[in-house]
Order: sequence, then C-alpha cells, then structure tokens
Amino acid sequence: MSEARGASAFEAALRDLLDRRYHHRHPFNLRMHEGQLDRDAIRIWVRNRYYYQTRIPIKDGMILSKSPDAAFRRDWIVRIEDHDGRKAGEGGLALWLKLAEAVGLDRGEVETLEAILPGVRRAGDAYVEFVEGHDLLESVAASLTELYASEIMHVRIAAFEKHYAWIGEGGNDYFRSRTVKAPRDARGGLGFVLRNAISREDQQRCLAALERKCEILWALLDAVDAAASRPRLVPFAKLRAPDARGTTTVVLPERAVEISGSGPEMIALCDGKRRGFEVAEALCARHPDVSGVEADVYDFLLGMKGAGVIEFQGAEER
Amino acid sequence: MSDARPGADGSPGACERPLNLIAELTYRCPLRCPYCSNPVDLGIAREALEASDWGRVFRQAAELGVVHVGLTGGEPTARTDLAELIAAAEAADLYTHLVTSGLPVRAAGIEALARAGLRSVQLSIQDAQAEGSDWIAGTRSFDEKIAFARETRRLGLPLVLNVVLHRHNLDRTPEIIELARELDCERLELANVQFHGWARRNRDALMPTRAQVEAAAQVATRARQEHARPEIVFVLPDHFRSRPKPCMGGWGRKNLVVAPDGRVLPCQEAHTIPGLEFWKVGERSLVECWEEAPGMRAFRGDSWMEDPCRSCPERQTDFGGCRCQAYHLVGRASATDPACELAPERAAFVDGVAGASERATAAEDTHFDYRRA
Repeated sequence: MSEARGASAFEAALRDLLDRRYHHRHPFNLRMHEGQLDRDAIRIWVRNRYYYQTRIPIKDGMILSKSPDAAFRRDWIVRIEDHDGRKAGEGGLALWLKLAEAVGLDRGEVETLEAILPGVRRAGDAYVEFVEGHDLLESVAASLTELYASEIMHVRIAAFEKHYAWIGEGGNDYFRSRTVKAPRDARGGLGFVLRNAISREDQQRCLAALERKCEILWALLDAVDAAASRPRLVPFAKLRAPDARGTTTVVLPERAVEISGSGPEMIALCDGKRRGFEVAEALCARHPDVSGVEADVYDFLLGMKGAGVIEFQGAEER
Repeated sequence: MSDARPGADGSPGACERPLNLIAELTYRCPLRCPYCSNPVDLGIAREALEASDWGRVFRQAAELGVVHVGLTGGEPTARTDLAELIAAAEAADLYTHLVTSGLPVRAAGIEALARAGLRSVQLSIQDAQAEGSDWIAGTRSFDEKIAFARETRRLGLPLVLNVVLHRHNLDRTPEIIELARELDCERLELANVQFHGWARRNRDALMPTRAQVEAAAQVATRARQEHARPEIVFVLPDHFRSRPKPCMGGWGRKNLVVAPDGRVLPCQEAHTIPGLEFWKVGERSLVECWEEAPGMRAFRGDSWMEDPCRSCPERQTDFGGCRCQAYHLVGRASATDPACELAPERAAFVDGVAGASERATAAEDTHFDYRRA
C-alpha cells in the first residue's frame, strides 16, 4: 500500500473526483440549467427528487447513531433539523413542497410519495443502504457531495430566474437556503474526513464512498431523464425489419444491436414525441398482467441509450 | 464490430450468422503508415473483383445475415467505382460504413458517396497536428483529412475518428481528444498499435513506454467523465491486460473478410498463417467460402484449443485470443494467445515488449520501414 496523502493533496483528490463525477455534468441537469426543460419535465424532477429529499434525514439519523462523540452529534443533528424543521411546515422538506406547489404540483400528492419512478426509489434507498452498511468515516465522506452543492445551487437559482419565469413564488427558496447551509455542512464534513482519514487505505475508502454517492445521484437523474425526456432512435441508426423470430436489429457505425422480446415494441414507441413515461404507460396498458413492466421499460431505455441506439430529446420534435 | 446479441451459442464448430462484412476493396493506398495491417507482401493479393462481383458479394452476405459492411482497404476511395459499390451494398440492405484515410477522396469527393447512400465514415488520422501526422503517414495528408472530416459532418454523416497510438503520438492524447471534440465526432477510437502486418516490422520503433500508455489511458478516462461526446474507446495494448482480446469476436464467427483478390477470411491477417486453405468468391459461393473452407473451419468453435484454453471457463468469452499472434509469437496457431496471463509464453511476451521499449528509448533516431505499395 502506498503512502497516505497529505491533507491538502487528499482534499484535492476529493474535489477532483467531484469535478469529474458529480451530477452537475449529468445531461438532465445541463438541460435544466440551459433552460431546455419544459414544465412537465421540471415537474417530474421535482416530484421524484422529493423522495430523495425525504431519505436525507433518515441517513443523517443513521450517521448520528454511528458516532460515540457528543460534539460530533451536536453538530450533525443540525442537519436533521434543517430538513425536518423544528415544527411542522418548517425546514428543507417543507421548502421542497413549496417548490412543488410553485411548479404546479399538488403538495399533498407529492407528500404521499406515490408514483415515484422505480429508479429514483432505488437510488434514494441505495444511499440509505450505503450508510447502513458502512462506517462513520465512509458515511461522512459520502456526504461530501455538499462541497459542490452550493455551486450547483447558484447555477440553478440563476437558471430558474432566467428560463423558468413560469415557476411561482417560493420556487427558489429551497435552493437559496442550501447556498448557506451546504457550505457549512461541507466544511464540517470535510474537516471530519481530513482529520480521520489518516492512512492511505482510509483515504481510498473515502474516495470510493464519495464516488459511490456520485453514482447514486447520477442514477437518480438517469431515472428522471428516462421518464421525462423523449427518446428516439439516433438519426443515423438503421432499424431493420423484424426477422422471423420477431428480433429487430438496429445497425449503427461499427455496431449492431439485436433487440428481441418486447424490445421492438418499445423501440417503435420511441418516436421523439412520446416521453419515456408515456412509453412505459403504453407498455403497461398492453401488458396489464405482467409485473415490473414500468421498471423494465426504463431499464431498457437507459440500456439502449447506453448502447448508442436511442437519444433522449428535451423538447418535442417539430 | 461489437454486437449485443444475447445468448449467442458457442457450440463447437457451429457456424454462426456473421453480422459484419469487412470488404477490402483494394490494397492501394496513398499513405505509407509503418503500422499498416495490410500484407507486407502486397504481390500476393491482386485486385480481382469488379463492381459487379462486389455486388454479388454484398447480396450473398446479406443472405448470410450480414447487416453492416465496412468498406476498407488499403484505401477504398482509391477505387473510382466506389459510389457504385456503395449503392450496391445499400441495395442489398447493408449499412454502409466507409473506412478511409481521407485520401484520395478529399472533402470534394464525399458528397457523391453520401448521395450514393453512404451512412457513416471512419477517418484515420495519425496525430493531432500536421507535422506528426504527415511524418507517420509518410506523405502530406493531415490538412486534407481535417477538411474531409469537416465536410463529412457538414453533410450530416456520423464520423468515427480512428487514431493508432504508439510511442510517437501517445503523449498527444489530450490534443487528439480535443480535436475529436472540435470535429464533432460520434466516437474516437484510440487503438494502441497491434503488432501485425507492417507494425511487426517496425515494432522497436513504435513500442511505447509503460508510463506513456498509463498516462494516455488516464487522460481518456477523465475525458469520458467530463464529456458525453465523443464516445471514447481506448484499446489497451495486450501486455496491459490479463486476458487476450476476443479477436474479431471469434474466428469465423461475427466478422467476414473479403480480400481484394476475393479470398474469404476470418480476419485481415489470417493468410499469414501457413497451411490454411481459404477459398475465393468467384470460384465458389460466399456461403461455401464462409462455412466450408478448411481455413475458416480450422479455429471455429473450441475443439481446436490446447490447454490452458481447452479447459478455461472464459473460452467462449475471448475465444483464446488472436490466432495470428499465437502463430507469430509462439509458433503454433492453436496455442493460447501469449497475451493471456495463463499462457506459458506470457512472460516471454511481456519481456519482449519491455525489450523493444528499452531499445526504442536507447535509440537516437527513429527509422521506420514505411509501407510500400
């Protein structure tokens, strides 16, 4: 095992990881910040991201329970209060519901956590499970995405004001609150990690934890993107007629992807007009007796996007 | 060519449906790259197929199940009947993909090919700037290539940029990636040189240091994380891997090569293995050449394998690696590819690479044995 990094080199490695892997680079966030999302896409994001918001105080409670140090717990418990408030109607979760109302969603309906996309639920639960299964140091390291949060909040506030004037009052309140609180939280978390990750091995564990967290945030936006965008074949793909077994081949430069089972049916619905969730609804309606169709459709769409077969369009094709 | 076919069966000797035709239209080429994969003795394979012959090959390939044709060479645009060939391949329902050096077609020539139905283009460049690229190509060509790339994109054709990496351009991987982004490529293939064809002759002059490859791989990984486009494929040299690459996706399995003289091969190099009998289209049907030729059957499936391949659970994943590399480095085409960590010859293989790299570092000048037409 090679030698441990000095504190500043370790901090630089953490920041470098975020610069590469944090979801500020995710295409859905890029489109959001460039003003390319329409109302429905914003609503899908707000409704679904709320699920993740509700997981944050749960994982923070777990982190509290991992520390034998009263001073640490005193600092960390503030995070739970930030999200849940001192009384009902206060705190970050309430501010998110205010955002939900501002984008035209029904607050009560959002609060029920019904109709959350399977991939978003998976991502939110994965974060809680990660903290459950890892030690205090790794759990705090995973929270260091906060180091980038303030920056992304500023970008988002500006984007909302510039591009989404239709969003009602209070739409930016949550983000504004985070521009103050995220840097404070990040400083605390970073100090803890720098003080406690002494060996090279500990530092590697922290980097791996932070990377895992970035993957979770990325997967969450993948799930939102798959539902909110309008999938279509990439323009230079050639969709061949199905063969005798009903298998379709999509041909691309130096690549051929065979699509069987219900794949051809799904591909046919990727017309650049329907949104991903409409593709999922159509499939569910056609196969009412099959369970797990919705999740299968999103996995298929993301798989096909990964294979370069389809692309996710923000705006409707004209 | 990759494919995502689930449940492909690998039963011994079974003849699978090929998906890709590699049509080597000619061995002529205005470039003289010292790592060219064409035969070092070009006299052995004269161009023998007319446009009408190729048309027949395309139709028979489609009947076999082929869906994609890579029109390559040599330099395919050296053929004046290329537009006609593209139209014939499209008529046979194949996806037409041109693999070119950008010369002699030049920017002015691509539009006629697009009109004939061409779907996509792979352009090779030899470096990120004219001096290095022209030096490797052995002829002034870089500026023409860039103009060709821009025209290809202007016409809306997807562009794959291919760069063979070696000792003399690996350090410019960041600039190559930047150029690919600027040219709006779909994909950038960064392929560390494979020591076949002319590259085997120039091994010492091309062999990079380990540090060069590691740095370039890191640059590629970072670029992939920072930008969604272009897709970046970084093909590591064999000695960086623990298992061999699944060469051609298996012998006579997914890729069908037709050489300029009409010979049907499992890969562009297979004719360098002595004693293998391949057949020619024109003398027999393509189906016969593909399914029945003794050379095609020689290494299909896994019954030909020696140990450690024979009993290896991964034999249907990597197919024992490259038969040509086994023959040229071990002396038996049926041996395990020495790139595999389980191969008895692996240590000698890695030592050989290190030795070549050291000799290259010690050498004062680089002398290439440039490809001769």
